[in-house]
Amino acid sequence: MGHQGLARLAPRRRNATPGKIVRRTGALVFVALLGLVLAHVALAGDPAGLSPRGPDSPQAAKIEGIYWLLIAITGGIFVLVEGALILFVFRFRNRGRSRTLEGPEIHGATRLELIWTAIPVVILAAIVAFVLVKLPGINSADSAKAAGPPLIVKVEGRQFYWNFLYPNGVIQVERMRVPANRDVKLLINSEDVDHSWWIPALQGKFDAIPGKTNHLWFRADRRGTFEGQCGEFCGYEHPHMVAAVQAVPSSDFQSWYDREARAQASGTSDLGKMTFDGACATCHGFHAQGAFGPDLRGNPILQQPAAIKTLLQNGRNKMPAVGKGWSSRQMNALLAYVKRFAGSSGGG
Amino acid sequence: MAVRVAPDPASTIVSRGRFSSWLATVDHKRIGIMYILTSLFFFVAGGIIALLMRSQLARPNEHVFTRDTYDQMFTMHGTTMIFLVVVPVFAGLANYLVPLMIGARDMAFPRLNALSYWFYLLGGIVLYASWFSGGGAARAGWYSYPPLSEHAFEPGKGQDLWILAIHLTTISSILGAINFIVTIHNLRAPGMSWMRLPLFVWSIYVYSVLILIALTELAGALTLLLLDRKAGTHFFLPSKGGSAVLYQHMFWFFGHPEVYIMVLPAFGILSEVIPVFSRKPIFGYKAIAFSTVAIGFYSMLVWAHHMFSVGLPTALNIFFMLSSMTIAVPTGIKIFNWIATTWRGNVILDTAMLFALGAVGVFTIGGLSGIFLAAFPFDWQVTDTYFVVAHMHYVLFGGSAFALFAAFYYWWPKMFGRFLDERLGKVNFWLYFIGINLTFFPQHFLGLLGMPRRVWTYNHHGWWAAWNLVSTIGAFVMAFGTLVFLINVVRTTRVGRRAGHDPWVADTLEWYTTSPPPAYNFDKVPYVTSARPLRDLRRRLQEGSVHA
Repeated sequence: MGHQGLARLAPRRRNATPGKIVRRTGALVFVALLGLVLAHVALAGDPAGLSPRGPDSPQAAKIEGIYWLLIAITGGIFVLVEGALILFVFRFRNRGRSRTLEGPEIHGATRLELIWTAIPVVILAAIVAFVLVKLPGINSADSAKAAGPPLIVKVEGRQFYWNFLYPNGVIQVERMRVPANRDVKLLINSEDVDHSWWIPALQGKFDAIPGKTNHLWFRADRRGTFEGQCGEFCGYEHPHMVAAVQAVPSSDFQSWYDREARAQASGTSDLGKMTFDGACATCHGFHAQGAFGPDLRGNPILQQPAAIKTLLQNGRNKMPAVGKGWSSRQMNALLAYVKRFAGSSGGG
Repeated sequence: MAVRVAPDPASTIVSRGRFSSWLATVDHKRIGIMYILTSLFFFVAGGIIALLMRSQLARPNEHVFTRDTYDQMFTMHGTTMIFLVVVPVFAGLANYLVPLMIGARDMAFPRLNALSYWFYLLGGIVLYASWFSGGGAARAGWYSYPPLSEHAFEPGKGQDLWILAIHLTTISSILGAINFIVTIHNLRAPGMSWMRLPLFVWSIYVYSVLILIALTELAGALTLLLLDRKAGTHFFLPSKGGSAVLYQHMFWFFGHPEVYIMVLPAFGILSEVIPVFSRKPIFGYKAIAFSTVAIGFYSMLVWAHHMFSVGLPTALNIFFMLSSMTIAVPTGIKIFNWIATTWRGNVILDTAMLFALGAVGVFTIGGLSGIFLAAFPFDWQVTDTYFVVAHMHYVLFGGSAFALFAAFYYWWPKMFGRFLDERLGKVNFWLYFIGINLTFFPQHFLGLLGMPRRVWTYNHHGWWAAWNLVSTIGAFVMAFGTLVFLINVVRTTRVGRRAGHDPWVADTLEWYTTSPPPAYNFDKVPYVTSARPLRDLRRRLQEGSVHA
């Protein structure tokens, strides 16, 4: 039985299958669903995501330049490769020929292999060159065009909010106020787990990693509020770890900056509310009414500043140590703010 | 007549029962089938988890699941699909096919082979049992970055069981890899030189080498994490002098070769299926074989392109951009050679071929979006967003899973003696083809809009919500495709058309024996004279020169 298998080597013609019907139905369903959904929102007029957000800074503009170059190159490759695939399959499809009929014995072509090795190398080298040309302007400030010295802000990622520390001692939470048309340098780190700082319209994302400080430059081209959210999974409230950069005219910024420094030093600012809304409200609600975390209204702990302080600095069960490393200014502001919830019981 | 080999005395005792004979089997074909069926089970489980996640994300501020459950689900989905589906299903296919393709009677170490299957099953059971542990399953994602995965932030038992489960599947894969390497080196049929080795076997060889290098390293990283959690060390705890970035390096030094562990065997499948259904030899055998080796080599030099936003020195970012761009070249060579194989062929569009061509077409999209991610300033925009989710699913679902389904439709007749139904198969293909593009293409836009991955909800309307809804619809289209496939499998066991030895008029040795093959595989293995031994035999038969 040395030739087992050979007896059945002859192939059998099998029934043609209604691939076309499936294909047409599929295409119809596809178009119908897509049309329905897209028509529904087409009038909304917000960005569809066909290119990165913005750009509202020179850095983001350079990144978008790389994006469009890549779209052009990969779009061309896509059309060529998929075109050849579809063309060959269509042109050389079986079309009722015998299933055993063989095509020509072509085992390869060295020259062709060399060509389709060399061309991608050239294309990729061009992309790399383009990236390297754009890189300096993304990595650091374009100092020649800067209007004044850079503002340096320390960005601390925490479960589940962002804390911003300004050189003159001003503290902000979740919303960073910066002057428009002036370079801003961020020093990013984390107090607990990995986070990632990301305002898409202004710059790429840079991770906030404990024990490491990352740098990032940007310069907002216009006044406005630019939103983003944490880009590295950091725990159960990761989707609610939002951030915004508010760019205001330089003179407005300076007056706010000085006023805020005085207010925070004297304890008359809204730092307590800002901290509560950023660090506490994610779980406990803006009015301490409870959501994912418990209702705090009327909670006896609110009468004991020392106990709250310990809780904030160490965390407990699911509650992260949101207040670990806070300056006494921020801690006192929060303690003063939460007193208002001490009396108002949840009523249930 | 057939050569009857004296059965192993130990196996006769248990082989009486139909069930127990499977429990005690050391036959590479049965082990292969057990691998494949187990991974199909986990494929369905991981797919159901994906559907539940897409349901949660279908609309803004949806409340199908809690944040806690969602975090467990995406961790389990990723871990399942990578460690319990794609890697082991290729081990299963290779188990079944490698000995047959090289004309061997079995794997080099049959008992070790059985051991590696049982380690894999145990790993899967441990992972799924962790849902029921105190605190639920792990929720730090499939790469479980510390400090989030450290005891201070993740005190539950789920994370420990996750490490244990990965350790078990890692041991399984390493044992399997050693077995494949020894088998391919030593048990090839007479005349089968390296340049006559089927391209699928080439890919399994490189797959095995990468497993030996990368998974042993992963086991080291996870052991350090376990020590941090359980023994009070602080390798990855910056607050105590450790380094969180060190874990990322260790993880991705495994993680990127892992991508090619999951993709190279798929490439091997395409290199087998496309020539058979084009009725032509593979175009550029050597180019494909060497590009497989080149990809395997470069895959170990690109890991930090997963870490561009970590804040590495610019020189390192540039190096990893260059190496990542370089790996596109051998990948492109493969795609060009597959397309050239169809040129002037007699292209037969059976389901296996549709899936193979679909894999080439869809994988190309994943390959091209990879170039975006290698250009690191742009990567800063889209890393850790849905753009990356789209990219990796185009590669892993479009490349690996499509090729896998090509393999199922192509080799099912060999494994079970019956054809999977072609009509259902084509429905299966088109549902998958439409579904994958509906699900994942809009996710590129979501990433550009600013949607990070691993969010259990979002509070955006307009296009952001629309693309999410389209993506969810696509996921259900794919689910129907899977349902059609499962119906096809069940139906085939009852009424499937019987296949002969060589129903596709193929080229490689597995088609020389019966379908399904006997326990001992071959009565006699022909002398191999080229990379297409069966075609050589057919021609000699036609010329009347075969001595029966």
